Parts: sequence; structure tokens; C-alpha cells
Amino acid sequence: MLTLEGITKYYKEIKAIEGVTFTVRQGEFLAIVGPNGSGKSTLMRIMLGIVKPTAGRVLFNGEPLNEVSWRELRRRIGYMPERVSFYDNLTGMETLRLFARVKRSTVDKTVERILPRKVLERKVGSYSKGMRQRINLIQALLASPDIVVMDEPTSGLDPMGIAEFYSILSEIRQERPLTVVLSSHILAEVEGRADRVAIMKDGNLKAIGSLRSLYRKLRLPLKVFITLKGKDPLIERLLSLEGATGLTYRNGYLIANVPPENKMKILSSLMEKKNRFEDISITEPGLEEVFFGLH
Amino acid sequence: MVFTEASRAIAWKELIDKLRNRWVIIVGLTFMLFTLSIAYLGAAPAGLTGFRRIDTTVASLTSLVTFFIPLMSLTLGGGIIAEERERGTLEIFLASPVSALEFITGKFLGLLIALTIALVAGLGLAGGMLALKSGIETLWVFARFVFNSLVLSIIFLSISFFISIAFYERTKVIALSVFLWLFYTIIYDLGLIGVVLLTKGEIGMNLFSALLLLNPVDVYRLMNFISIGEFKIVVGLASVEFSGYINTPILLLIALLWTVIPLGGGYLLFKRRYYE
Repeated sequence: MLTLEGITKYYKEIKAIEGVTFTVRQGEFLAIVGPNGSGKSTLMRIMLGIVKPTAGRVLFNGEPLNEVSWRELRRRIGYMPERVSFYDNLTGMETLRLFARVKRSTVDKTVERILPRKVLERKVGSYSKGMRQRINLIQALLASPDIVVMDEPTSGLDPMGIAEFYSILSEIRQERPLTVVLSSHILAEVEGRADRVAIMKDGNLKAIGSLRSLYRKLRLPLKVFITLKGKDPLIERLLSLEGATGLTYRNGYLIANVPPENKMKILSSLMEKKNRFEDISITEPGLEEVFFGLH
Repeated sequence: MVFTEASRAIAWKELIDKLRNRWVIIVGLTFMLFTLSIAYLGAAPAGLTGFRRIDTTVASLTSLVTFFIPLMSLTLGGGIIAEERERGTLEIFLASPVSALEFITGKFLGLLIALTIALVAGLGLAGGMLALKSGIETLWVFARFVFNSLVLSIIFLSISFFISIAFYERTKVIALSVFLWLFYTIIYDLGLIGVVLLTKGEIGMNLFSALLLLNPVDVYRLMNFISIGEFKIVVGLASVEFSGYINTPILLLIALLWTVIPLGGGYLLFKRRYYE
């Protein structure tokens, strides 16, 4: 759908992004993760045509963008920047009408699902951070875009606010196909929500793919938790023989890192000794492990 | 393609913002207060009070307005980019299907309407009161003064757009605006006086008049003095006659250039920075 090809951006001598290439697929939820200053926001601005790349190009449905097609693309993209305070003297509804007119659209009643009419009729100057973020989300969704680009949309929200934000987004995506490109530096937030994750570091795209494909590619170990009554050298030896590493005892568990290719072998060996432990659980690596595995 | 739905929406937002933050009321009242004070107390040093001749009132008001309007317009337009950047809304506009021309036109139109309301309401109300006291025939002279003041404010609004787009950081924009305000209202004319003194008055009236046209504040002064039929101008402390080629159409043309060049330059800069 939207392809970034060899995108490089330098601000004078300072590198912001170097040689980033990937495609945003139709209907997917793509999370761009990375620490602050890794180039996530710059990448998004380039994607929207707000920032011009030093090298590389953006393609829409396989075609390089020019001034006319950028305008066409912008009709189909909604953008939710990270920090927006809007206009204190305008009401929420007036703010939305302003951006709707700019996008050649109107504000329909469905916005009241995200912010009640009573709140929308108040001046934005009286809004909390959470309410401003909701207005920001609504304006990004005005004119029914095909893609919505969100730069750290939950930044500054409390856990309840974050949960509400994703719940609204999920509801909207259930109703109609919407491609989401979202950046975050909070890994737990996008884990389990994003279809694919792009990991950025120092302006470079370190990896992109589904979480599962990433940890397979990185050959990250699985974590095995075995509930024991006490130390058990036999189980320890068995695990070591099958290639498990990092064996430690903590809170009544024997914890071991197991190479993913040995998972079944280790499990069947352990099952033969099942009378020696009470319980067993296996955890696949999360985004955090993938992230740190790449850094 | 200039006054599209998008540019009208942006203009509406600018106007509503300036009305609701009381900018229009404050500026309008200030103008009215200035005008009435000068009209009523202008002859106080001579021991006289009350409404006097319209030409002397306009001449006195011109001196005051030349300081006030440029500063007001520069501060009004100076924030168009910086404020949107600080609020985070500039990026929303840039990511929307709004063109550079629509954005700049909308901003300019909105602020121009706010300025016009403040000027016409403030000066116009005072002018009406003046006309009631001094005779209805003075209304035309005062209307020309209001029009000329509006022209001056448009010129400086255009200059402020250029500065705001070129420098976009609030501190830089403020610093440059203050410098330009001082330059056009004080430094430039002091420089001209210096040139006249250094050349012992041999500068030549044509060159001197041309140099006056390079300063929009002097263009405004000339427009006002022509409108009240005063064929001598006061540049700082010097009183000189000006060249015959200076007349109202020429001054309006120069004023138009002073509007179009900075505004057009600002638009091109904005387009090149964000749209190409």
C-alpha cells in the first residue's frame, strides 16, 4: 500500500534515518517501536510528506508520489501527532469542524462515541490531557481515512486512558478496514495488538515482522518455568543435556532458557520425569526480548 | 481556487480566535481612545481643548498610528507558524489535503478581517463622533485616513507573514519583528535625515522621494498628507517638499508591492519547505 524505499534523512550533519525500506500492508496494524530519538517520528513525518527525505522515496500503491498524488494520499491518511494542545478558545466540536472542513468532510454523530456531546461543546482550554488525545484521535479519523498514522498516541496517558484508547481503536477497526501505523516506545503496549512490529534504533530499521517471526529469526530462547519442591540436580542435568542455559532457582521455580528448536525434545524428556515436579510452563519471548535481542 | 472551503475554514478559525481572546476588542478600544484623545486634547499645549480641524487631527493621529499599527500587525502575524507549531496543529494541516496557498490565504484572510474590524470599529466610531462635531464633510477625510491605516496594517501583516514563515521560531520572529518595527518607524527616517545633512541637502528631491517609498511607514505618511491636502511632509525633524511624481495611485501601487512581495515570498518559502 505505502512503501518507503531507502529512506535517509539528515538534519545538517546529524543522521536521523538511514536507508529504511518497508511496506505498510493494507489493513494491518504496524507498530514502529524504538527508544526516544531512534527516528520513529521522523519516519512517520516522511511517510506523510511533512518532512522531505535526504534520499529515498515514498511510493503509494507502487507509484512514486508527486505533488498531486501527495494531496490524493493525504485525503486517505489520518494523522495523530504526539503532542497537540489544539486551540483553547475553540470548543471541541468547533475544532473538529475546522479539521473536517480542511479535509473536505463533515463531523458526524459517531464522534460522540469517543467524546460525549457535552464535552464537545466545552472549550478545549478546559480539557484534560486525555480529552485532548481523544479530540486528536477523532480528528485523525475524520473523512474516513484508509490509513491512520499515530505518533506515540498514548504518551502522557494513565493506564486507564491507554486501555480506553486501544479499546476505541479496536472497536473502529472491527467496524471497518483501517490500516494503522503507530509508534511507541512502550513495548508492552503494542505487544499482542500489532500485526507487525518495526524495530528502530539510531535511525536504522533493525527488524520488521510479526513478533513470532522476529523471535524465530533471532532464535531467541523460550523460558521454561518448572515448579519444584526444592533443588533437583537430576532435572538440572536433564535440561543442560538438551541445551538449556541460564538455569536459576527463583521463588520455587527452576527457570531455564531453552533453544526454540529443542522445545519438544525437552518437554518429552521432562514428561518422563513428571513425578519430580508439580507444574511446568513455557513462555515465548516477548517484544521486550526481541527488542533487547536486537540492541 | 484560493477561497476554498479549507481556506475559509482556516480564516474562520483565525477570526474566531482573535474575537474570543479579545484581541479585536482591545485593539479597537485602544484605537478609539487614541483617536478621541488626540482629537479632543490635541491642542491642549496651546491651552485649548475640544474637537479641532480634521487635518490637524489626522496629522497628529498619523504620527501615533505609524508606531502603533506596524507593531500590532507584526505581533499579530508573527505567530502564524510558531503558534501552530507549538500547539502541534501545523503538522495536522500539513498532513491534510490543504495546499500551501489555501493555508496561507486562510491565515491571511482571517487576520485581515480581525484587523479590519478592530481598525474600522475603533477608528470609525471615533471618526463618526468627530464628524458629528466638526461637520459631515470631515467624514471623507477621516475615511481616507482609516483606509490608509488599513493599508499600512496589511503591509505589515504581509511582512509579519514572511518573517513568521522564514524564521518560524517564536524568539527569532519576535526579535526580528521588534528590529523591523524600530527600523521602519525610527531608524530609517533618522538615516534619511543623516543623508540629507551629510549631502547638505544636495541629495535631490527625486532620489529622496524614491528613498521614502522604500519605507512603508513613509508611504503611509505620504498617503495621509496627500489625503488632507498637505504638500509638505515631516520626516523626523526635517520638513521638506516631495517630488511631483508621488501621488495617490503611485503610493497605492507601492503599497500593493509592499503587500504582495513579502506575502508572495512567504508563500513560496512555505511551499518549498513543506510541499515540494
